[in-house]
Amino acid sequence: MDLQGQNGLMTTFREGWRSRSWIAWILAALLIGFYLDLYFRDDLTPIASAIGLKNKWYLYGGLYTVAMAGGAVYYLRRHGNSRYNQIRIAVNVGVQLCLAWLLPFVMPMLGGREFYFSYLWPLAYSDLWPSTLASLPIYLALYSLIMALVATPILAFVFGKRWYCSWVCGCGGLANTFGDPWRHLTATSTASWRFEKVAVHTVMFVAIASTSLLGLDYLLDGQSGTFHWIVGGSQFWSVKELYKLVIGAILAGVVGVGFYPLFGPRVWCRNFCPMAAMLGLFQKLGRFRITVKPDMCISCGNCTTYCEMGIDVRSYAQSNESFTRAACVGCGMCAHVCPRGVLKLENASNLQTDKARVRLPVVDI
Amino acid sequence: MRVVIIGNGVAGIEAALVVREREPSWDVTIVSEESDHFFSRTALMWVHTGQLSHRCIEPHDRDLYERMGFERVRARATGIDVGARAVNLAGGMDPVPFDRLLIACGSRPRPGPWDGSQLRGVGHFVTHQDLAWLENETYGGPSRGGPPPRPGGHLAATTDDSPYRVRPDGYAARGGPPKQPAVIGGGLIGIEAVEVLVAAGLKPKFLIREDWFWPMALDEAESTWVAERMRHHGVDVRLDENVEALVGDDAIRALKTDKGELDCDCCVIAIGVIPNTEWLGEGVELDRRGGVVVDGGLQTSVEGVFAAGDCASVPWYHGAKMPEQLWYTARDQGRVAGRRLCGDQAEYARGLWYNSAKLMDIEYTTAGLVSMNVEGERNWFFEERGKVRSTLRVVTVDDRVIGFNALGRRWDHTVFNRWIAEHRSLRWVLDHVREASFDTEFVPPLTIPEEDKSKELGGAAFSVIRDPMPAPRA
Repeated sequence: MDLQGQNGLMTTFREGWRSRSWIAWILAALLIGFYLDLYFRDDLTPIASAIGLKNKWYLYGGLYTVAMAGGAVYYLRRHGNSRYNQIRIAVNVGVQLCLAWLLPFVMPMLGGREFYFSYLWPLAYSDLWPSTLASLPIYLALYSLIMALVATPILAFVFGKRWYCSWVCGCGGLANTFGDPWRHLTATSTASWRFEKVAVHTVMFVAIASTSLLGLDYLLDGQSGTFHWIVGGSQFWSVKELYKLVIGAILAGVVGVGFYPLFGPRVWCRNFCPMAAMLGLFQKLGRFRITVKPDMCISCGNCTTYCEMGIDVRSYAQSNESFTRAACVGCGMCAHVCPRGVLKLENASNLQTDKARVRLPVVDI
Repeated sequence: MRVVIIGNGVAGIEAALVVREREPSWDVTIVSEESDHFFSRTALMWVHTGQLSHRCIEPHDRDLYERMGFERVRARATGIDVGARAVNLAGGMDPVPFDRLLIACGSRPRPGPWDGSQLRGVGHFVTHQDLAWLENETYGGPSRGGPPPRPGGHLAATTDDSPYRVRPDGYAARGGPPKQPAVIGGGLIGIEAVEVLVAAGLKPKFLIREDWFWPMALDEAESTWVAERMRHHGVDVRLDENVEALVGDDAIRALKTDKGELDCDCCVIAIGVIPNTEWLGEGVELDRRGGVVVDGGLQTSVEGVFAAGDCASVPWYHGAKMPEQLWYTARDQGRVAGRRLCGDQAEYARGLWYNSAKLMDIEYTTAGLVSMNVEGERNWFFEERGKVRSTLRVVTVDDRVIGFNALGRRWDHTVFNRWIAEHRSLRWVLDHVREASFDTEFVPPLTIPEEDKSKELGGAAFSVIRDPMPAPRA
């Protein structure tokens, strides 16, 4: 075994449920319905209490972990001969199981407060709200602050965005396991790239602005009644509540997962996740890149098709251009499906320039 | 200035893009019988299995021709009128006049020399239309990715012997996919056809004339591993078996070989490709292989008429002219041809040979002179069996490396080629071999034990696989 390349051909476009047949539309409708119910109704609460869980979110966490574990089995059956994929998916599922499910489940039993260590601000948008920080034990408040403001940029600079988006994050984890059957459906057009850049940076700006406004509100200590009402009020259109509704529930949940079977598993990560946008900027400045082996690309399009972030990898590969794209989550699939071994993910130092194209004169034999 | 390009493949489209970049106002016309859109021919196999769609293998947006102002003529060219400077078209269409012309019409499958090669259920795997035929044979039609736009757009102006005609299939008559598919020809297209049939859940017979698979590139030990992988997937690999006839009345029923008769209800003939140049007639000079003879600047025997890609006989490193049927060289030739079409001086300089492929699930990289029987060549061969299975063959002459053949790992061929040009010794190369590694992360690096490295020093233990043979083949 070679521990890297694709092992056996895929029949993706011959499977209706993976190529937008009516089954895919029904699956999407079911997923969207589930998320609408989860966020806006309480049908799951009695089920949760019937099996002894504190609330519906514990039930959701359990279902999420099961979906991820099941998806991981599917993923590893298709792409599991690759060492990178084996390690990455094992870590990602392990993080979900331990940090995002077992630990939050156990912490309250030990008399603590539940806390999701694997979700960081600004993805966990309320983590740096002053009201949240104030309510946390000091070690958890420090963890939130240091992870979001210090560790994240440093790790992204050294390893690229992937350390989070495809090794730790639960959204990315679900996308790469349960969502993997649909990864080829991500739009790759230039128009979709333009939309992505505007949308994702807008959400990032909104995330930073709303957190700052809430911080200001905290500093003012509610002295300005109108300001507090607009920013932190409990009516649905206050800054805080709107963010929770539009970005936290609709974009991350309903659209993010509900659209898997139609538009691929990274709709949220690519277009709306504020964390991904910030990590992408650090990545552009940092060491991570995809190295292209010159003059070996046959323009087959496997890399572009199976890129879940809609990056036209082929356009770089066929022009012999090593590259770093802000969107790239470093899942490694382009290198995995490349039939000519042209692509390689690397944390290379910036000083190391591309190997000069070698077009040497003939040996004198 | 009117530039006409015959062929919508990689050489033709690269040339057209170079011309457009340099000369925004020139008329550029692309004549193609095969397809409306440029696509990656090397990727046909993935469209067949459904791993990719037709759209996926088109490297550009579909509005490329409009955006670049390329006029497309979907028709069969039937000849070049050198005097009137025009390309004649089939089907009563008006000739297309040109000032400068690029012939980039590529290859066509080498037709089967046997009786019965035209039977229903027999075809090739080279063109868009061959893909449609094999999709019809195995699945009864295209995948959900859909067929290309205007798949039969050329039919009004084509002929029965055109390689761009969809051959008749036997799906309906059989009532399903073939039960006894066969592939004839032990080369790269042959193994691709075998792979797509395996992906469709079939167990093809693979008839190879030679003693082992792909002797042009692999030695016996390397090839045996590939054959082992094929057999693991249920392929009936039949070495040293010569086909004598394809048997059937309307549809193929059996293959007659020098070892007996084999049941067969669908057959892919993959015995190589030949330049698609018969239609050129006396217009330009052709060599005995059918390639359009060009000089170092890719100009044919006619002033202002160039040729690039698979159909051109270009000068190789040893001086002889031969067609060079490879994707990347066609792209490079197209770029040179584009500059020549603009009136620039440019030379096509072929560097050292390199190539890569994927044989079933085994990655293959080669660089330099391998399996060429160079005088005095000695081969150092190493097989790795551990977490990773791989082989590495280094070809040397007088303790200077001249070639590399590697299976099972990813290597950077540019580093190999640099070492060859630097006249590195075998020992030096073995000590530095990891610098050429292109393996993905977490793959344990290749470790060559000291005793294997120093085979060379022992002299007697040096593994000589092939006896020295006279002179490289010209």
